[in-house]
Formats: sequence, C-alpha cells, structure tokens
Amino acid sequence: MPNLLKVNDLSVSFFSPQGELEAVRNVSFSLNEGETLALVGESGCGKSVLCKSLMGLLHSGAVIKNGEILLQGKDLVKMSESELCNLRGSEIAMVFQDPMTSLNPTLTIEKQVAEAVRIHNPGLSKAEIHDRVIQLLESVGIGQASELCKLYPASFSGGMRQRVVIAIALAGNPKILLADEPTTALDVTIQAQILDVLKDVQKKLGLSIILVSHDLGVVAKIADRVAIMYAGKIVEIGMADEVYYDPRHPYTWGLLRTLPALSDGKHELYTIPGAPPTGINLPKGDAFAPRNPFALPIDFEKEPPMFRISDTHYAATWLLDKGAPDISLNSLDSIVSKQEAMMQHKSGKKTVRDENILEVEHLSHRFKIRRGVYVNAVKDVSFNIKAGEIFGLVGESGSGKSTVASCIMNIYYPLKGSVRFKGIDIFNPKEASKNKDILKTKRQLIFQDSSSSLNQRMTIEDIISEPMVINRIKPERGSMKAEAEYQMKYVGLDASYAKRYPPELSGGQRQRVAIARAVSMDAELLVADEPVASLDASIQAQVINLFRHLRDEHGCAILFIAHDLAMVKYLCDRVGVMYRGKLVEIGDTAEVFNNPQHEYTKSLLAAIPKPDPRSERQKEIHIYRGETHECE
Amino acid sequence: MNANKSARKKRKYKDKALYYLKKLALFVISVFVLSIIVFWLSRLTPGDPLMAYYGERASQMGEAERAHALTRLGLDQPTLTQYIYWLKNAFEGDFGISYKYKQPVLSVIAGRLLNTALLGGISFVLMFILALLLGIFCIWHEDRLADKILCKVGTIISCIPEFWLSLVLILVFAVILHIAPSSGAYTIGHSGDVADRIRHLILPLIAVILSHLWYYTYMIRNKLAEEVREDYVLLAKAKGLSRRDIMFKHCIRGILPAYFSIMAISIPHVVGGTYIVEMLFSYPGIGTLSYEAAQLHDYNMLMVLCIITGVVVIFFNILSQIINERIDPRIKAREKTEEIYESLGENGGVING
Repeated sequence: MPNLLKVNDLSVSFFSPQGELEAVRNVSFSLNEGETLALVGESGCGKSVLCKSLMGLLHSGAVIKNGEILLQGKDLVKMSESELCNLRGSEIAMVFQDPMTSLNPTLTIEKQVAEAVRIHNPGLSKAEIHDRVIQLLESVGIGQASELCKLYPASFSGGMRQRVVIAIALAGNPKILLADEPTTALDVTIQAQILDVLKDVQKKLGLSIILVSHDLGVVAKIADRVAIMYAGKIVEIGMADEVYYDPRHPYTWGLLRTLPALSDGKHELYTIPGAPPTGINLPKGDAFAPRNPFALPIDFEKEPPMFRISDTHYAATWLLDKGAPDISLNSLDSIVSKQEAMMQHKSGKKTVRDENILEVEHLSHRFKIRRGVYVNAVKDVSFNIKAGEIFGLVGESGSGKSTVASCIMNIYYPLKGSVRFKGIDIFNPKEASKNKDILKTKRQLIFQDSSSSLNQRMTIEDIISEPMVINRIKPERGSMKAEAEYQMKYVGLDASYAKRYPPELSGGQRQRVAIARAVSMDAELLVADEPVASLDASIQAQVINLFRHLRDEHGCAILFIAHDLAMVKYLCDRVGVMYRGKLVEIGDTAEVFNNPQHEYTKSLLAAIPKPDPRSERQKEIHIYRGETHECE
Repeated sequence: MNANKSARKKRKYKDKALYYLKKLALFVISVFVLSIIVFWLSRLTPGDPLMAYYGERASQMGEAERAHALTRLGLDQPTLTQYIYWLKNAFEGDFGISYKYKQPVLSVIAGRLLNTALLGGISFVLMFILALLLGIFCIWHEDRLADKILCKVGTIISCIPEFWLSLVLILVFAVILHIAPSSGAYTIGHSGDVADRIRHLILPLIAVILSHLWYYTYMIRNKLAEEVREDYVLLAKAKGLSRRDIMFKHCIRGILPAYFSIMAISIPHVVGGTYIVEMLFSYPGIGTLSYEAAQLHDYNMLMVLCIITGVVVIFFNILSQIINERIDPRIKAREKTEEIYESLGENGGVING
C-alpha cells in the first residue's frame, strides 16, 4: 500500500513566558490509503497539536521546529498559507471535539454545508449545491435533511451537530479525515453512532482517517493501527491487535489497566502514579521514567530509541533492549494484585449501614420553556441512599440527573415530591430552618468543572476553611490553617499548595480541593455531579480511588452522578438509571450490570466501548428510542 | 392539525404584540417620569427666572412690579400646580414661550434642531463606520506593529478632554492655518449653501468623532478577538475558507447584534459630546440652546429640550434592548424549529440523533 501521508521527525514548540513548551517531539509515522490510525494519549501529550499541524491550523504562537509532513510527496511545512488554504477540505479535512461550539450559531445548517461545497466546486449552480448538501447530510445519517437543513445549529443535539460537522468535512472529497476527539463530548450511545458514521463513510469513500482520542476503548472499534503518545512523543505504534493484545510499553500497560471497563469487581483501580509532564523543562532521559514502576537506571539518562518488535510494531522503551530484565504486562498485574491484597486487608469492614440517610420520594420538577409550555425534567423519581453507601445515578445528558441533585441540595424547589435528609423534610420551611446547621454542613456538593467552581482569587487554604468560617465551626486541630492542611493531606494534596491559587493547580488537584472543602465539614452525604468527567483517564482513576477511600474511612454516603457507566460499575454499590426524566431501573450494581431489565439500560451497557478490538469490531449498536420528554 | 397551526400563529402574533406594547408602555412611563424630575429640579436651582424674560431690568424691579411679572408668567403658583398646567397645555401642543426669545419654544427649537441633527447624525454614522473598520483592521493585524501603534494612539487621544481638543483644533486649523471656520453653522446669509455648511461642520465633526471613536473601536476589537478564537472559526478554516471570507462572512455576523446594541446605547454619549462641542464652536444647535436655557432659567425651553434629549436617549436604549432580545439567533432558531416540527408532525424540543 502506498503511503498517503508521511510525517518525518516533526517537532512543534510553543514559546511561553515560562519557557519553551515542546508539544510534539521528533514524531514520525505514516498513513496508508484507506486505513484508520488512532492517536491515543492523555491531554497535553501533543496529539491535538500534531493533528492541527498536519493541516496548518496551528495558532501563531506555535512553531514547527523541524521535520517534514509529506502529503503525496509534497511537503506541507514549506507551503504558503494560500497553498494550504487550497489543500484544506479538498485533501485533508478535520472534525473537531466539541460539536456544540464548532458550528457558527448565526447561520443555518444548509448555509454552512453549502459554503464548504461551494469552495471546492466553484462551478455549481444553486440547485446543484442544494442537492449536494442534502446528499452529504443524508450520507452521514441525517434523515429528512431537506427540512432539517433550514434549521440553526441551536436546534440540533450534540450527536446531530457532529454529523453535520462530518458532512462539512466530506464536502470537498478529502483523502484524509482528521478526527480530533470527535466523540468525547457526546453520550455513550451517541458516541457509538458517530464512530459508525465515520466507519461507514470511510468504507464508502475510501478515506484515510486519523482518529485522536484519550480513550483506548473508543478507538478499539475502528482503528486499524494505534499510536500511543506521551509527552509529545509516539512511544508505541503498531497494528490494533498488536497494541491491545501484546503491548510492550509500560505506559500502554498503565493506560490499559486504568480503564475501569477491565477491572471487573476489583477493589482498587490501578493508577499510573503522578501526573503527565507539562512539556516545559522535560526530565532528562525517558519522559515517562518518573511514573514508570519498571524504570531502569538508563531510563533516567538516555532517551530510548524505537525498538522494532515486528514489521508493524515499534515501541520506545529500554525494556526491549537486549540486556533488559524480562518484564511484561503480567509484572504490572502482579503489582496491581499486591496493592489490592493490601487494600482488601485494610478495608475488610462493611461500611453500608442499614439506615436511610436520604429518601427521595416521587420527586418531579419541570422547567418553563415559555409561557404555558413546560418540560418535565424530572418525573416521579424515588430512591433512597443508605448511610455509607455509594449510589450511582447514570443517564445521558438531559436525562435530569443534575436536576435531581439540585433538588436534593435545595437549589431548586421541586414541583412535587419530598426529599428527606436524615429524616428532615428539606422542603418544609419550618423543619428546614430548625435543622439548618445540619442541612448546611452535612450535605455537600462537588461540581464537575473545578476550574469554575473554585474562586480563582482565593488561596487553597481559604477555600478549604471557608465553610468552617461561615458556619462558625471551631477547628478541631487548633487553627484554620492546621485544619486546612490536615484536610489537604487527607485528600492527597501536599501542604505546600496551601498558599497557591486554583489556576496554578491541575484539574485533578483542583477536584481534590473541592473534595477537601466538602469533607472538611464532616459531611455525611456528598453529592458529586460528574466529578471526573473533565479529567484524564489516569487522573480519573486517582480521584475515583479517593472517593472510595472517603467512603471506607469516613463512612459518608455518596450520590455519584455520571454518564460513564464503567466508572459507576467500578465505584458504586447501587445504581439508578435515568432516561428522559424518569428513573427506569434501580438496583444493586452487579445486578443491573449483569442482568439489566429495561431496554434502555441494555442499550447503554452494550454501547460501552471496551479496549478489545476483536469484539468491538463485531459489535452492533442498538439504539433505544423511548418516549421523548413530555411537554405540557 | 390546520386549526392547531392557525392557533399557534395567532398566539405568536399575540405574544409579539404584547412584547412591543410592554416596550411602548416602558417608553411612555420613562418620558413622563423624566418630565416630572426635570420640572421639579429646574425650580429648585437658585437664580432668578425673571432675568431671562426682562434681562437686566429684572434686578431693578420693585416689589409690586416683580409680583406682577411672576403672576404674568404663572410662576407664583406652587410647583405642582405649575406642572399640571404645563402638562395640560403640552397635551394640546402648546409648550409655552421662551422667556429669552419671546417666541413659542417649538419655533425657536425648530430652527436649531436641524443643525444638531446634522452634526450628531453625521458624526454618529462616520464614527461607527470608522470604528468597525479600525476594529477589523486591528484584528487583521492582531498583536502586530500596526495594531499596537493604533491601540496606543487611541489610548492617548481618548485621554484628551473634548473641550481641550476642540480648542486646539480651533487654534491650529482656524486661527493659524485658516483652513476651516472656527464657529457657526454657516456664513451669515448663506444658510442654504451646502458647501459652506460642510466647511463649518468639519472641525466640530472631527472633535466629536476623535473623542468618542476609540472606545467603540476597542469594543469591536475585543468582540472580534473573542469571535476569531471561537471553535467554529477553526472549522471554517478547516473547510478551506480564506481568511477574508472567515472574517467577513462569519465573524462580523457574530458580532453584529452586540454592535448594534452598542450603537444604540452610545447615543446619549454622542448627544452629550455634541452639546459640549456645539458650545465651543458657537454652533447654533440644541446644545448651545440648552446651555442658555439652563443658565437663564428659561423654564419652558429647558423642559422641551430635556424632553427631546430624553426621548432620543430612552428610545435608543429601548431599541437596543429590543435588538438584543430579538436578533438573538437562538430566538430565531427556536421559532424556526417549531415551524418545521409542525410540518414534520412531531412535538417540540431538540432533535435527537
């Protein structure tokens, strides 16, 4: 097969006041005609930058330091902006991560697709363009396209918008499609559909696809080859089967083991220790060495070259050198099981107590769309949470999970129903004001987006001690400072962070601060609304483990709201599934996952991507189409 | 189905009519409240209203003569009674006479209104065209030398007070260089000569535009800077669109609603600026008239001038609200979605896929 695209020794840097940030370091790979190459790595590993540099879309701060990008023999790096402009869309097209923002909100769908058609086919008449737009929209699975194309993006859901973006990308009959995290912002069932669309158009049009993702599970379905990136370098590259079933780089092992989909019933999720480097002042030697449990002395001295395993499979680790000790994925598994044995020993006690800390009964809430029209966001939802229990609430976006959380936290006053926290009816003004201290301190909320939910102008210490100040609680450990430091240590933050501000911390660290703030009140119920959705896989695992520790040692109950089923399966004791405002299934986690009753739960479970290419390729997606939201 | 459709259409028109009625009510109430406040405040300010009518003679009047004069002008009544009289007459179209000009207020103002409308209108239009062009220019060269120089120059000029800028302009262009006339709206006896009027407008226009331009240029620059960083711009680029097309077909569209509402809201600033400049250039407009009226306690004149200014300001403020609320693409999108769903025979909400 001829190489359509060949990247040789490419390096891209950003220059910031802190110094040079090496985003992509000496990357080489090739892409064959009609193949799908997946680029996988955590955020900040340079995969998006690499993708944008292939299209000349880097912003002005980025510099291609060396290397070449050969598209059918022509070097893109040396091309002028106008030459690149001709290339975009007609040779290489791109699909972006967030379909909610990547369409222009002020133009109709038809105009936006037609614009792309017109650029690449200047001679077409209006009617021909219209026909082509409809054909493109239908090819990505949008039915009734001739009516729907007159709408603005605001009327489309995320999945539909992503289809439109793909249609725009296909308008110029490109040879290569770059998909930068095309499904990350979407629900799990929609995610599977979009991947199907990509696979489908590839088959029909003979496209080559470069699929960028942070999730090995997602790419398993359609990737022919997989490249793993870490700190700006490709550390392992090979055919999908080779990388999934015979991984050689310790980072790949770590990625495979942090995925909760694989850790069935295990007590502790494996975590890669530490956090990925930022790219400024990278450590000497192998950048992964500080996080590598099998690092050899040479790893800290010299960067490993790409070792050849087979004609298609290469990995950059000294473990593949002739003199290296014999270490494989099994060695990691033995470490994991040792950790686990220790944990099991420690947390042998049963934490769930037989008393309801939260009782939600027939809760209904609706939102006003305009005068006289309401949408029932939550309809007749009842469940209870026992003390010391982790209860998971799952469902796609818009299913009403967050509204339930807001009602429980007294943020919304529901239309109907009651919520009792420790036996207190929280919507009864008399009872609530009598017990307001308990309500204010014993229930705590943790938000999804830690960068906007923490005040950027307060130090970490102030943030953690603020609830104690407000509620006039005397700190147990003498001073507020000591108390804050204790809480920080408790959630795994170094006390040296006390005087820093939230923007200086990473996403995982900020989420720990949010947890510390909640825990400092000695909370008995934590309501965590998508607490790990915006974090990287390896960091997600750390935070999830922290939740588990909190429950085991603290005995607090947790209402864990998530759309990631694998996470819920791993963490929760019981789980409730919400669909369009209704609670369609509730039960013990094992029971719900092994023997789902409701059609929707079944389709949700089937859609979870597993890092197992062989079974993923066979999988067919069944979409549950139940009733829509009821409007009045 | 059809009955349903016509019912929906009816409801839509009803909603719209209600919306505009509310805005109209808001407008009327605001003007009414304004008239009360101005009437009351003007009576509170110290000074002798008879000065406007009788000039120097007012200070030499005896007790009886004075009382007679006050009664003649109706100023001996309590303020509330005066206001009610004024309001009654105003509804009949009679706004009283100007104490200074001894003519009906409206006819005095009518002669001046055109002058101010010319100065204000032309400077407003020019200012916003220039601000838009400069804003686009800055973003086109963002963070490069041209952008940086323009921003610095703008900062410096906007620090110069309007009155001082006017004086410097008069000194340089009228007194030293003799390029443009320093005062008036036209050479006496040539009120119909267009070229002459334009020559007289040049310096006041420059003064108004220069002192207000930069603020709006920055606003547009910042709005555009946000807009070009939106994700959809990246997608447009990936489509293969040229930079010019992205800027003019996508980004400008995105900032237009905000731009229009800024324009509408800026009217009071421009009007205020025009008044100051009119004073300095002895330009016979409403600004100079208001100044005289306030100084001389020419109550009837003051009332009408304040109400004219107020009506303009309130009207454009409400207009900017309407622009903000109605031009929003999401509103249009929702209406269109409903229509199309109607034709597809499904019920409302977001289309799921």
